[in-house]
Amino acid sequence: MSNSRFVYVTYIKTTPERLWFALTDKAFTQQYWLGACCESDWKAGSPWKLAFTDGRIADAGEIAEADPPRRLVIKWRNEWSPELKAEGYSLCTFEIETVQDAGTDAVKLSVIHSIDRPESAFIQAVSGGWPRILSNLKSLIETGSVVLPKKA
Amino acid sequence: MGKPEFIYVTYIETTPEKLWHALTDGDFTTRYWFGARLRSDWKVGSSFEMVRSNGTVSDAGKVVEYDPPRRLAYTFVNLSDKYKTDFPALATFTLEPYGKLVKLTLTHEGFAEGSKFYSGISKGWPAILSSLKSILETGKPLEIPFEALKMEA
Repeated sequence: MSNSRFVYVTYIKTTPERLWFALTDKAFTQQYWLGACCESDWKAGSPWKLAFTDGRIADAGEIAEADPPRRLVIKWRNEWSPELKAEGYSLCTFEIETVQDAGTDAVKLSVIHSIDRPESAFIQAVSGGWPRILSNLKSLIETGSVVLPKKA
Repeated sequence: MGKPEFIYVTYIETTPEKLWHALTDGDFTTRYWFGARLRSDWKVGSSFEMVRSNGTVSDAGKVVEYDPPRRLAYTFVNLSDKYKTDFPALATFTLEPYGKLVKLTLTHEGFAEGSKFYSGISKGWPAILSSLKSILETGKPLEIPFEALKMEA
């Protein structure tokens, strides 16, 4: 095994459609992405970017797969840190699954971020970021407010 | 490949004291932990158990650390035959103030190689800790049926 991988699973009280919207709507992502936002037309092959609010590009790549509201795969490279950029492209997969039960409206979100190299500094960096972003997203959807401060 | 270890971090809008209570009060845990009541006198070395709503014990181990409201550690293993080749692994919770939030880090380690219990807890913790965040922030846990975890898969 020579790749590096980060996996995070969270359950959110929402619907797959609302969660898909929350992951792909630029203005909505800006609310919880700690001072950045995601931009794409979310079609396979289209460009994707994560931009800071001042317009600088944090990360960029393209949509590898889009199957709303179930599965999204982004080919993803860091653009602002020369060291992380040099590691090349990672793959970030979002899987959205409903929890099978009539009495619940929780949705399972899995984020799997991997790169084809061992001991990746990029994967180490996103391992710290995803729990903050996804905690913020869950709070925003469930309570209407984010919990973490914005910072670039 | 090293021995398996499960790490999960979540940020919760609460206080360390309320989070500590939520992690150690048996009445409270029944509300978000698939109905499980945690039972212990929380003295280091004392027994630690997860009790189902019908009164039977599903998991058991020992309290290893109890330092409210900062650090809690206990061992446990599921007692069903499915995990008979497993032994108790160590779950450590650290609670750190993070602005108006608390950063909760769970590290679960010390599994046997090829542990079945490790694959079980890897599915269980994200659901339990998601429901914990929901109940502390909204007053309501998530309703996730245990079957939804697909433990057999």
